[in-house]
Amino acid sequence: MYHLDGTDVLDEKYYRKTASVCPECLERIPAVVQEEDGKIFMVKNCPEHGDFKDIISSNAKYYKWTHFQMKKKDGTIAWQFEKDGEANPADCTSDDERGCPYNCGLCSEHLSTCTLALIDLTNRCNFNCNFCYANVQKSGYLVQPSLEEIDRIMKHFRSKPIPAVAIMFTGGEPTVRKDFPEICKMAKDYGFKEVIVATNGYGFQKKNGGLEWTKKVYEMGLDTLYLQFDGINNATYEKTRGIKNLMPYKMRVVENCRKVGLSSINLVATIVKGITDIEVGNIIQFALDNIDVVRGITFQPVSLCGRITAEEMDELRITNADVIEEIENQTGGKIRMDEAWYPLSTIVEFGRIIAYLADVEPVEFTCSPDCGFATYLVVDPDTQEMVPIIDYFDPLKVIDFANRFWEKVKHKEKQPIKFFEGMLGDIGKTLDSGLDFLDKTQLRARFLLGILQYTKKPGKLMEMFSRLLMNGDWESISSFTHGTLLLSSMHFQDAYNMDIERVKRCIVHFGVAMPDGSVKEVSFCTMNTIHRESIEKQVAKKITQKVREEFDTTRGQTREEIQQEVAQNGGMRKTELGEE
Amino acid sequence: MVDEVIETKDGLKLRKLVELKTSTAEEYQNAMIDRVEYFKEKNQKKSQFNSTIQNAVVQAMSTILDVKIQVDKTLGEENLKKVHEFLDGVLLFGL
Repeated sequence: MYHLDGTDVLDEKYYRKTASVCPECLERIPAVVQEEDGKIFMVKNCPEHGDFKDIISSNAKYYKWTHFQMKKKDGTIAWQFEKDGEANPADCTSDDERGCPYNCGLCSEHLSTCTLALIDLTNRCNFNCNFCYANVQKSGYLVQPSLEEIDRIMKHFRSKPIPAVAIMFTGGEPTVRKDFPEICKMAKDYGFKEVIVATNGYGFQKKNGGLEWTKKVYEMGLDTLYLQFDGINNATYEKTRGIKNLMPYKMRVVENCRKVGLSSINLVATIVKGITDIEVGNIIQFALDNIDVVRGITFQPVSLCGRITAEEMDELRITNADVIEEIENQTGGKIRMDEAWYPLSTIVEFGRIIAYLADVEPVEFTCSPDCGFATYLVVDPDTQEMVPIIDYFDPLKVIDFANRFWEKVKHKEKQPIKFFEGMLGDIGKTLDSGLDFLDKTQLRARFLLGILQYTKKPGKLMEMFSRLLMNGDWESISSFTHGTLLLSSMHFQDAYNMDIERVKRCIVHFGVAMPDGSVKEVSFCTMNTIHRESIEKQVAKKITQKVREEFDTTRGQTREEIQQEVAQNGGMRKTELGEE
Repeated sequence: MVDEVIETKDGLKLRKLVELKTSTAEEYQNAMIDRVEYFKEKNQKKSQFNSTIQNAVVQAMSTILDVKIQVDKTLGEENLKKVHEFLDGVLLFGL
């Protein structure tokens, strides 16, 4: 497999010490990650609640590859998938002696900057999914920040030394908020390059006004939908969301986006063993059929909340490796597990070079190699078939070249050219910027030629790279995603598999406006596992009867909308008319 | 699209993909480049000189790539490795 062939890494049993939390009391406890029977497990013991064991990866070989360190002849590390990030200064003091993950806010133990900022816009939702952790029906209270509070959170993320480049609105269902378009505009005004909403599609799918609403949010700054998409069968949604006939709802979202030119939908499939894992081929097919608007698919193995037995764990747990294997099976071996997939952190140096040479803010994927895997599908110029990007480039050689290139030029990012400034003042600055332009031009040429020598096929990708480096704007870089299909698998942690070393590298952070005027920045997995309840109780508002009964969550619509529909159909429900 | 559709006992339709083809592959690739051009014009002052330079560079890269692919075929794996090592050295020289 990959560059491990010929090494003894695969023959050695994997073993590493780390820290985790007890799933019962959530206290920090020691844990080991070890190999057994070709799989990787986390084993831990709580003095009070006993032993716990959970599978981390169903494929030890693959796991060992992602934790492999390539060494130089002198024994130093040439590169590894675990990349060191550049964290922002801590926001809070580490008052809790137990350390990570109890001091989130963020504390000085955190090793990565925030790449994707999250704001829960509301915990109101038109669905009531059984595995969701954040809705008003389950919590019994309302969490919905005001516009002033949202403004404060955005300011927090954008005013850091390394600002967050992208923002995602989450919930609940963010699009139930009437002021959602204004919130998108606020994000753009703050300079977020990518404004994303994680949605089941509510606002976009409305039969009355959905198209106009989609147009409005697009014009106000929304770039991308992370559209909840569990499959193409209504029966699947009935199991996952408790709603019948949901595919027409999803199709209305896709059609409305297509009509207004919002051509960036990322399908998000929560993968539940035996329910949605069998749909991965269908979802890829759907993406290919709608490739003019679908930019990617994110598969998310379900996180397990609450107390469950070892038997239930065995029945429900699915890992990134399982998902990737299922994709290989359901695509007839076209997207190969042992070749096509790479940890997200693979492209850190590559991204830094692009950002430096194109003069744009860097996107730092310095998360743990266990967080997620990705591959791009690109059009093969010979067959017109979508193929993994590894058919196009020799990935390890490109990455290796990029790493060595960055090692040589990274000092330039920190020390811009100031040759003439000292001698000539402001005129010198202009001359220095000219030198900087010439220097970057020759670096661009070297980098492009470096990639080119490891390119295996002709086609549009090299043209794309050339143009985006020369244009030097964010839109050109993001256009890369408009000619490819990104497949990724992201496994969020829960109390059973939490690895503190992974938590410290988290790049997806929630921002919450606290009552004392501060903003708490909390990494994604610890928010959902450790902090959500206590934080939400501090910012919660009382729930009114009107909010409690706002939606019929068995149909995914407001009661008002259902009444209107019934009135339009001569007092008959669609179910009674046989249309649903 | 070539695929095999299997229907389960529960009535679920499952597809086993045989080819990952889209009906719009060519347009899809062009759309990517068109998008880059669109934003380039939107973000920068339109400059005939810059566009000419850029198109010339892109054309040159494309030609080099075509030649390189042909040369790769004639070199054996060992020779290719040596060529890559040499070029890496040249491209990283002086940085």
